[in-house]
Amino acid sequence: MTPASSNAEVTAVDTQARWPLLLLLGGAIKWLVIAGVLSLIASIQLHSPAFMSHWPAFTPGRTAAMAETAFVYGWAFNAGLGLALWILGRLGGEPLRALNWVVVGTFAWNIGLTLGLVGIALGDATSFSLLQLPGYVQPAMLVAYGAIAVAGILAWSGRRTDSTFASHWYAVAALFLFPWLLSAAQATLIWTPVRGVLQAVVAGWYAQGVWSLCLAPLALAVAYYVVPKVTGRALPAYEFAPLGFWSLIVIGAWTGARHLTGGPVPAWLPTLAIAACSLLLFHTSIVLLNLRGAIGGAGNSVAFIAWGLLAYTAGGLLDAITSFRSIASFTQFTHLVTAQQQLAIYGGVSMILFGGIYFALPRLTGRPWASAGFVSAHRVTLLIGLALLLVSLAAAGWVQANDLNHKDVTFAAMAADTRPWLLGASGAQLILLTANLLLAVNFCRSVCACCCCCAESAPVGSPFRPAATMEAHAS
Amino acid sequence: MKNGFVFFAGLFGSIALSWGGLVLGSHKQLGGLAPFFDEGDSTSYPNRPPGVAARGQLVYADLGCASCHTQQVRRPDVGADQARGWGERQSVARDYIFQLRPQLGASRIGPDLTNLAGRKPSAPDADDLMKLLYAGSELHPAYGFLFENRPIVGERSAVALKLTGALTPAPGREIVPTERAQSLVAYLLSLNNTYDYPESRPLPKAPAKPDGAHGAAPTAKKEGEKK
Ligand code: HEC
Repeated sequence: MTPASSNAEVTAVDTQARWPLLLLLGGAIKWLVIAGVLSLIASIQLHSPAFMSHWPAFTPGRTAAMAETAFVYGWAFNAGLGLALWILGRLGGEPLRALNWVVVGTFAWNIGLTLGLVGIALGDATSFSLLQLPGYVQPAMLVAYGAIAVAGILAWSGRRTDSTFASHWYAVAALFLFPWLLSAAQATLIWTPVRGVLQAVVAGWYAQGVWSLCLAPLALAVAYYVVPKVTGRALPAYEFAPLGFWSLIVIGAWTGARHLTGGPVPAWLPTLAIAACSLLLFHTSIVLLNLRGAIGGAGNSVAFIAWGLLAYTAGGLLDAITSFRSIASFTQFTHLVTAQQQLAIYGGVSMILFGGIYFALPRLTGRPWASAGFVSAHRVTLLIGLALLLVSLAAAGWVQANDLNHKDVTFAAMAADTRPWLLGASGAQLILLTANLLLAVNFCRSVCACCCCCAESAPVGSPFRPAATMEAHAS
Repeated sequence: MKNGFVFFAGLFGSIALSWGGLVLGSHKQLGGLAPFFDEGDSTSYPNRPPGVAARGQLVYADLGCASCHTQQVRRPDVGADQARGWGERQSVARDYIFQLRPQLGASRIGPDLTNLAGRKPSAPDADDLMKLLYAGSELHPAYGFLFENRPIVGERSAVALKLTGALTPAPGREIVPTERAQSLVAYLLSLNNTYDYPESRPLPKAPAKPDGAHGAAPTAKKEGEKK
């Protein structure tokens, strides 16, 4: 096992898939910054509703929808897909096939997303959480995803060895399941909408599916790949990993209806969700058991992943606790729910994806990150921003929940009570945006350096690029 | 997991199972929900909203009002929903059967709007709502772009906003709601859940389960009638 900073580990898979995968990762980072700006606006509007809201495109409901969409479909999916393909290629031992499809799919996905965001700004959002993209871009997104996923499935089926590894399962599951999820939701919400509150049931199923069947598996594929590589040790209790995998896939999607507790839907839906949330702790514990080596592990990628794992575990635990009716009736409809979502998707999934990007990029470009200082600065700033965001949102939610449950507290009083915390959340969004700009700059510089290097056709004496090893691999 | 076929079948089976269980299961229970025919006043409930209100719901959806407002009142023992006067009963699935895009919402930065027009003692009227949307407030975003500030040509428009104080338009001009603002307000004024269905009564004599599980009360099924 070579340390993360060395280039000796660059394989033929990496050089050959370099540009398509950099396209996906670059797209991800671009959307991360855009989502950061939109989240900042949406966050400010929570305490100062007049902010920018005279522009129809930036009216509060729309900015919130755009921020969420850009973050999930722009950042998390692009990054997750890029890393998943890279991992499947490496595990398969053969260069990735169908890379043309990946490039076409990536362009289609990102153009579709851009049109979708413009659509939301113009008022075409669907108003379903996590599925705000207007109906007219959804089919294109489906096809684009399929085009990108093909390369991963081919790498899996064409792998050199028969046996598979946990990263395989998680990555392939996400690639395979999202198209089913999206087409089922599209058919019953957009094209032939089901009636009344059934829409909320389908939307809840979809939103949970995006999380449990796509984003979490993509992140776990990365964690299961990077952690043993960096620590250089076999995963402890690995024999339980299949159980951990299947428990997520089988149970995960059932947990979504916890948000409908007390609502006008059949009562057995939240009941099942509560049971499912508790059962899912089984999955969370196995993941933690397998990957605990990351915590305290050396190296930047693993540090990100360790934080991500802690957040993932905490998120699972909080989901289980807050799903119980007595607690859900208190936390429901408040910033506490938002705090939990941010913990899961920013603290959990995104941190692991950051770790994956820090691990993959030097191997894709064949040279280290342009600035090591930026890498640590990104990590520190991100952690500060994230901690501030979670604490502020949780405190705002706590205050809000208490106020909502006292019938005499007016909304004006509630707004005054939550304001300091919501200001804190806006500050946190600003810090997070700054942090991610560091990543964006560092990414651009690293990729440019790689471009120049390629253009100069790899000077032998380059201090960054051990030409001999590269050529040996590029057979 | 050597066997690719079994692996993919397992993945597909899992997603299909959750879809079948959650979506088809609820559909089986609620898909056939019909309006409730009240013999007392020979009317069936809920009322089908007029077209303008249905269009207004889409305006509500596209502006994302649901990011701050819910439209679901919970049981009396859950939260302060009913104590705050948001409704006298819990919301039930039947309330939403005629809605194109039910806006249950997930966040309460502002009050619940399920029963906005049925509030007691006083529900807001069209003028209040127009003014709130046009001018906003310290707590509320303004939706000025739903209104037109135009010179008065001939007579003052019948729908022009009656504004006072700092909001008064310049002399010779008037603020007129666009069609979208009018349908949004018509929608808000149609939000009324005062009718009590058998399944929405929390008392044990009610035939339905108390938790909002209402597989269509028997009376409703028998006498239910599509309008
Ligand atoms: C940023 C959050 C936010 C958004 C977005 C928002 N509202 Fe509100 N709304 C509030 C708050 C807070 C109040 C309470 C104001 C008060 O009590 O002074 C409120 C009050 C109301 C009321 C008065 C309710 C009552 O009980 O009298 C109505 C009606 C209303 N909003 C409609 C809408 C509509 C329609 C939209 C979308 C076009 C919308 N709101 C968007 C936060 C919001």
